[in-house]
Amino acid sequence: MNVLEIQNLTKKFGDFIAVDNMSLSVAEGEIFGFLGTNGAGKSTTINMIAGLLRSNDGTIEILGKNSRFAKMNLGMVPQDLAIYEDMTAFENVKFFAGLYGLRGNLLKERVEEALEFVGLEDKHKSYPKSFSGGMKRRLNIACSIAHRPKLIIMDEPTVGIDPQSRNYILNSVRKLNEMGCTIIYTSHYMEEVEEICTRVAIIDHGKIIAEGTKDQLKSIITNTKDIWIEVRSAEQLNLESVKEIHGVEAVQLEDNVLKINSDTGVNNLNKIIEHLINHQIEIRSCEEKAPNLETVFLTLTGRNLRDH
Amino acid sequence: MDFWIIFSKLAILLFIAYTSVQTATGHQAWTVLALLIYVCINIAQHTFKNDNLRKCLQGLSIVLSLGSYLFVYPLFCLVLPLSLVELTASFSCKKVILLLISLLPIFYIQEMLRPIYGLTAIFCWMLFCIVSHSKEKWTKNEMQLDGMRRQLEQLTKRLNENTEFIRQSEYTFRLEERNRISQEIHDKIGHSMTGALIQMEAAKRLIDTDKNKAEELLQNAISISKDGIENIRLTLKNLKPPTEQIGVHRLKLLIDDFDAKNLFQTILIHEGNLDVITPIQWKIIHENVTEALTNAMKYSKATQVSVGIKVLNKIIRVEIKDNGIGSGQVTKGLGILGMEERTASVDGTIIIDSSNGFSVTVLLPLTI
Repeated sequence: MNVLEIQNLTKKFGDFIAVDNMSLSVAEGEIFGFLGTNGAGKSTTINMIAGLLRSNDGTIEILGKNSRFAKMNLGMVPQDLAIYEDMTAFENVKFFAGLYGLRGNLLKERVEEALEFVGLEDKHKSYPKSFSGGMKRRLNIACSIAHRPKLIIMDEPTVGIDPQSRNYILNSVRKLNEMGCTIIYTSHYMEEVEEICTRVAIIDHGKIIAEGTKDQLKSIITNTKDIWIEVRSAEQLNLESVKEIHGVEAVQLEDNVLKINSDTGVNNLNKIIEHLINHQIEIRSCEEKAPNLETVFLTLTGRNLRDH
Repeated sequence: MDFWIIFSKLAILLFIAYTSVQTATGHQAWTVLALLIYVCINIAQHTFKNDNLRKCLQGLSIVLSLGSYLFVYPLFCLVLPLSLVELTASFSCKKVILLLISLLPIFYIQEMLRPIYGLTAIFCWMLFCIVSHSKEKWTKNEMQLDGMRRQLEQLTKRLNENTEFIRQSEYTFRLEERNRISQEIHDKIGHSMTGALIQMEAAKRLIDTDKNKAEELLQNAISISKDGIENIRLTLKNLKPPTEQIGVHRLKLLIDDFDAKNLFQTILIHEGNLDVITPIQWKIIHENVTEALTNAMKYSKATQVSVGIKVLNKIIRVEIKDNGIGSGQVTKGLGILGMEERTASVDGTIIIDSSNGFSVTVLLPLTI
């Protein structure tokens, strides 16, 4: 079943078209990534999904309902921190969970659960003023998950924080997903999207220019990868014999670096190394240069993800 | 329209009846009779379609109200203006004339009734004007709607015809092509195969008696078969039009043309196997490149425009990029919309970027 169904969504700010006739669907249990430069239309789309902005055209359905009536099933982690500095962590989460109608003991339980989930269980009474950037982000997440939404939207939740908090957040995204949440994750950090998302949409100038699993996206560009193996000397090696290994498309030798172009669908590194060892060739280093999402973006748009 | 006029007539009648009962003067019975006859005439008026008959009835109702005014009850003059307006409206459409005619009786009626008559006449005239005006508008809209409906019908019909035509011509093309292939096979390959077969059969018979002759015949058959295979190869080669030649060649011509005619330098770079681009995709690429180059010529103030075609694993990427001033914010004009529509027709996407010069990137999925 599709948790989110967007059809022909368009948003204009005056003459500027922020989101241009976008259609996409997110199935239950996915971690769906929006990848795009700043200003590509990711946040605008997300704000429309969350019902914070009105679209000029098109429909958004969450669990089969118009998004304006589906807020109970939706948790939103906004890009800009939405927490109150002069309320304690506990009060912050309690306030937001209370907005979703939770009351009494259940409310308390859920708030504690959410704080524990983001690893702030010992900071109940602390004020966010004293928190690090990463802790604030985590509190921000706790605020949006206490009412146990089915769909969680995270808009750049890792901007400007330390690597540890970042890992913590990425792990909690995975955990939420294992617990049955569908997650929409936006970022302009290619590595994060590549690491956690099951499906990715590449967005540029308000349009989805490519969509699919990571492998599908990479296969748009190429179905080969480069394996560079540095050897001490390869004079006794017959390059033609390497080509006979399954999956190898081309072999080149340049300054003692064996450059092998091979099919991405075949895992033949073992065989190549075995082959080299059999020919008594000393391997110094080995590097696989497979395309990543950054390459996909660069090849499709001609621009870097972080140009802007 | 009729509704409002009938309604106002009713209102006037009720007023007359009410005042007649209040004052209780004159012949009550006659008044009721006159009222009823008036109602009958005015109802009958609306049941007839014939215009002349309606005019007669309108005239009759005027006569009746005059008669009633003179002999039964003076206030009957109040129904006069509406009938007058109705009748005159079928002869003249000038509103001033209508007003004058409906006010005309004011000089002949009792002085006491003049103000109320005048008021009624003006009210009736205004009502009539408003109602007839809105009716006119309504009729006009209805006609417009009808016209549009007819137009839509025609267009749908034409669309259907065109679809049919496309199907027909596709079929005809296929037939022609099949015809051509079978002709070629028959003329070239069929003949040599038959020749070879005859030689081989002869060789089979001779193989025991005259071995040398048989060998010679077999050799013949072999060379004829070789020719045949060569022929097949040639035929197949002829069958397959070199799309790449057409596509990229055409594009090169276009770009050379631009290069020669304009101040900026235009270059074409291509990468990957162009064979996989289908003719329809070439067509779209060609049209989009033309559009983008024209735009660059008009607005960019660039000194160099590059057109790059890259065939990737599952996608064709065409980029037209200039080093000009860009446009700050991109507004979609007809040209860009056209490019978008064309590209969408083969499930492609188009990206317009003006952050660094102006670039149009067309992404078309490969269809293999």
